[in-house]
Parts: sequence; structure tokens; C-alpha cells
Amino acid sequence: MTIWMLVPRRDESSSIFTRTMNDRRDKEILFAVLIAVLTLFIAFITIGVGPPGVSLWFLALSCLEAVMVWRGASEDERENLRQVSSNLSKTRVGRTDGWRAVALRTGLGVIFVIWGISLMSRVSGEHGAAAYVLAGASALVLGLFALFAPWWIRSIQDLSMERRARVRAQDRADMAAHVHDSVMQTLSLIQRSANDPVEVTRLARQQERDLRSWLANPETFGAHSSTARTLSQAILDVESEIEDNYDISVDAIMVGDIPLDDATLALVAACREAALNAAKWSGARDVAIYVEVEAKQVSLFVRDQGSGFDPLAVAPDRQGIAGSIIERMRRHGGTATVTSSIGAGTEVELRLPRASSST
Amino acid sequence: MTSERVPTVFLVDDHALIRAGLRAELSGHVNVIGEADEVAAAIEIILERSPDVVLLDVHMPDGGGLAVLRAVNKEQPGVKFLALSVSDAAEDVIAVVRAGARGYVTKNIEGPELVEAIVRTAAGDAVFSRRLAGFVLDAFTNRSQDGLSAPSLDPELDQLTPREIEVLRLIARGYSYRDIAEQLSIAIKTVESHVSAVLRKLQLSNRYQLTNWATERHLL
Repeated sequence: MTIWMLVPRRDESSSIFTRTMNDRRDKEILFAVLIAVLTLFIAFITIGVGPPGVSLWFLALSCLEAVMVWRGASEDERENLRQVSSNLSKTRVGRTDGWRAVALRTGLGVIFVIWGISLMSRVSGEHGAAAYVLAGASALVLGLFALFAPWWIRSIQDLSMERRARVRAQDRADMAAHVHDSVMQTLSLIQRSANDPVEVTRLARQQERDLRSWLANPETFGAHSSTARTLSQAILDVESEIEDNYDISVDAIMVGDIPLDDATLALVAACREAALNAAKWSGARDVAIYVEVEAKQVSLFVRDQGSGFDPLAVAPDRQGIAGSIIERMRRHGGTATVTSSIGAGTEVELRLPRASSST
Repeated sequence: MTSERVPTVFLVDDHALIRAGLRAELSGHVNVIGEADEVAAAIEIILERSPDVVLLDVHMPDGGGLAVLRAVNKEQPGVKFLALSVSDAAEDVIAVVRAGARGYVTKNIEGPELVEAIVRTAAGDAVFSRRLAGFVLDAFTNRSQDGLSAPSLDPELDQLTPREIEVLRLIARGYSYRDIAEQLSIAIKTVESHVSAVLRKLQLSNRYQLTNWATERHLL
């Protein structure tokens, strides 16, 4: 609480403490309360509880500070407190008559605390101690509650207010960062390549897809590669990934859909490799992917009408087709056929038998 | 292709830029005899000029391409429609084709392909884009997980022949009609008749799932 008093709130130049010290009337009140607390203390000692412990000093300090906080609070803070208090009528904090209520409550609280402590301190060596302990404890709790409730409610309120503000600021920052990373970057790229319509189209397409998916689902944005649950979603991811990275338009047609498993993931990976090859080597402007989920197998075709190549002339150490497509499909019980001839484009045909258990 | 005469074409699209682009693509290959940017004007001018083919944008205000199609079909059933759209939504595509369009192509089609599609439409054949072929396969070969098989009201119309499925698959894989003919060792004319048969089934079939299926497909 001491820290709270001495440290200014964000956006405010002075702390509660300095504000209080700058106000003459507040100083007087502070003084009055100080005297009241001291009086109580003396009374307390004379009742015969013995020398006040360290905890009691803390208690006194807390009372003082509570008063200071209330007096020093700025108008909007007080307004907040009043709103809370009207909602929480039981605690009766911060009625409009201000410091009087606080003083009353502080007084009551201190009395209860003293009463509680004195009851409890008498306990030793008497019969029926439990009743005393109980009464003392409840008095103590009541007193502490009266003392600290406003402060407690206040700090909770303050905390949630600040959290809300922080969330709003965070949202704004996220939005700004996103717009900068995506739209601004794309716009500057478009400016730079204004003479290249193909590039401009590609950039615009990529940006459009980006924005759409972000607007549709900002939470999962940027994690779409891991969110694919079905074959068609995974194929769509492949489609957008290749379109984003290469100057080629990928058009995937899907008939039927099944959930992803190891084998279908391998199918997707092989499909990706085939489409990547088309993007890199074929020189075609678009590549067609067709996926059909049949009763007993899944068929996938990747076709481009580009330059084509002679499959027999591929060096044996090239791993693209052999390793990433054919061998990968074979491992999962499927087949891969690459049909291509120079000048007539390429078609990669992937077939994967469906596990009999899946429907 | 089969018709020696250059077909007359009418453009309906609410975007001036797209009409201009289409005109530029088509000039020299077909005879563009007019264009309209809204439903009411389109109906009026089409009925007045009777073009061979109307290139129709599916998505327009005031009822869209569907309204134009229905109104013109009632008066002049001879005018053929080729739907042209950026939309990939199955229900839109199916709705337009079922209302009587001879085919559906997406706006990213290449110029020469579009000309070929228009010529084919003018000749009375069906034009299937890859996507439409995919939709039809999906709807008719009914491999949906629910396992519901509809009460077939008319097996003639509610099922595709194996050959038709084969042709549709090749279209979906990106083959042109010529490639398909070559692959299946049949004449191009035969490919066209298969596709037309599929279109007829698509338009006449009253399988109730066709509509259900299309409206459930929000994705893509």
C-alpha cells in the first residue's frame, strides 16, 4: 500500500502521496486522524494488553494510509470507487459524504481489532477459552475487513480497469503490427513492381487471402499449417503456400473429404512436392490439383501444361520425384505415376488405398 | 468449331472493367453485339437483339444472373447462357446451371479457352469448367459420409454412367476436350455428347440432395 501511495498512476504526474501533501486541508485531516489513531493506541495500551507489537504499528500505518489514499485519490478514481460502492451496498464503502465515512469505518475497524486482540490475549489459562478465541477472531476479522475492504475492492477495481486498458492497447498494437506487416509491406512491394502486372497480381492475391483469413479468424491466424484437420484443408494449405511463394496459380478441386492421418499426410506431402516441381520447373502459369476420395482409395492428380520433361533422362541422384513422391507413396502402400513428355506438360498421379476401418 | 458463322455474344456484368476486359479478349474471335450492367436493362436488350450466347455474371445486384436467365428463357428459349463468375460457391453454380445455363466457367479462364467455350455453347454443347465437373462428381457420385442414399426417383437421371464419370474426372484433372478424346480414344464429338448428357441430368434430376448438398457446401 505504501508503494501504491508513493508511485504515481500511469498517465498521472503526481502520486497520491504528493497530492495529499500539497493539499492543506488534507494535511489537516491527516493530522487529525494521526492524533485519533495515537489516542486509540494509548487507550489500547492502558487497557492492559501490554506493549503494542510490530503488527499493531503496521495496522496504524495502514489506517493512516487508507485515509490518505482516499483523500488523495483523483476525481475519476473516486468516481470509480463510488460506482463500486453502490454496487456493493453491503460493504458501504465510500458514501458520498466521503472522509467522514472513512473515519467512522476506520474507527469502528480499529475498535473491533483492538477488542478482538484483547479478547484473544486474555485467553490463556481460563476455562471456555474457545468461546473467547472465537469471539476474538471474529472481531478481528470484522475489524480487518472494515479497515481493508475499501482498499481491497479498490485495488481489484483498479487492476481490472488497468487490465482492460491494457487489452485494448494490446489489440490496437496487434492490429497495427498486422496491418504494417501485411498490407503496408504489400503496398510498398506493389509500388516497386508496378511495371510487372504478374507480380502485382500475385501480391494482391496473397494479400487478399491473408486478410480474409485474418478477418475470419484472427486467433488462429498464422498457424494454419497446423490447423488442417482434413485432407481438403491440407490441400488448400498447399495451394496457398505455393501460390504465395511462386508465380503460379494453383487450382485445387476436391471431391469428397477424409480426416488426416499418417498416410493422407504423406499423400499431401507428395502432392506438395509435385506441385512445387510444377511451380519451379514447368514454366506453366497454372497447375491443376484434383483430389477424389473414392470408396476404396484416394486419387490425387497434379497436372501442369508446361514444358514437361523426359522422366527417363532424370539423373538417378535427383531425389525430388524418386524420394519425395514415389518412395513416400510406396511406404504408405500407395502408388505414384509421373507422366510427362517434353512440350506436353506433366501429370503426377497419386493413389492411396483407404484403410478399411475408416468410412 | 462446328459452326462456321461467328457467334454473336452479349455481355452482362456489373463491372465496367470486366466488360472491357472481356471485349478486348473476345474481339476478333466472336461478335460482341452489346453489353449491360444491370438486370432489367440486360433482359430488355437481350430480348431485342437475340444474341447466340449471353456471357452472364452470376453475381449482380437485383437478383443476379439468375433473374436474367429466367426472364429471357421464358421469352426466348433459343438464347444460350454461359455463366461466368468468380464465385466458387457450389450452390450458386448449381443454381445457375439448373436454371438453364449451358455451362459455367470461372473468370480466371484464359482468352482462347473462353472463345472456345463460347463457340461450344453457341453450338448447343455444354461447357464444364474443372470446378463444375468437381461439383457434379461430388453431388452425383454421392460418397458423402452420412451414407444416405436418396430414393432414386428416376435412375436414368440420377446416375452418371461410368463413361460420363470418367470424362468428368478428366475435366476435373485439367484436361481439355481434345485431350480427353485422345486419352479415351473417342471423338471430340463423343466427349461433347457425354458432357451434354451430364448437363441434362444435372438440370433435370430432381434428386433432393442436390440442393441440400449444394447449400451445405459453404467451403471453397
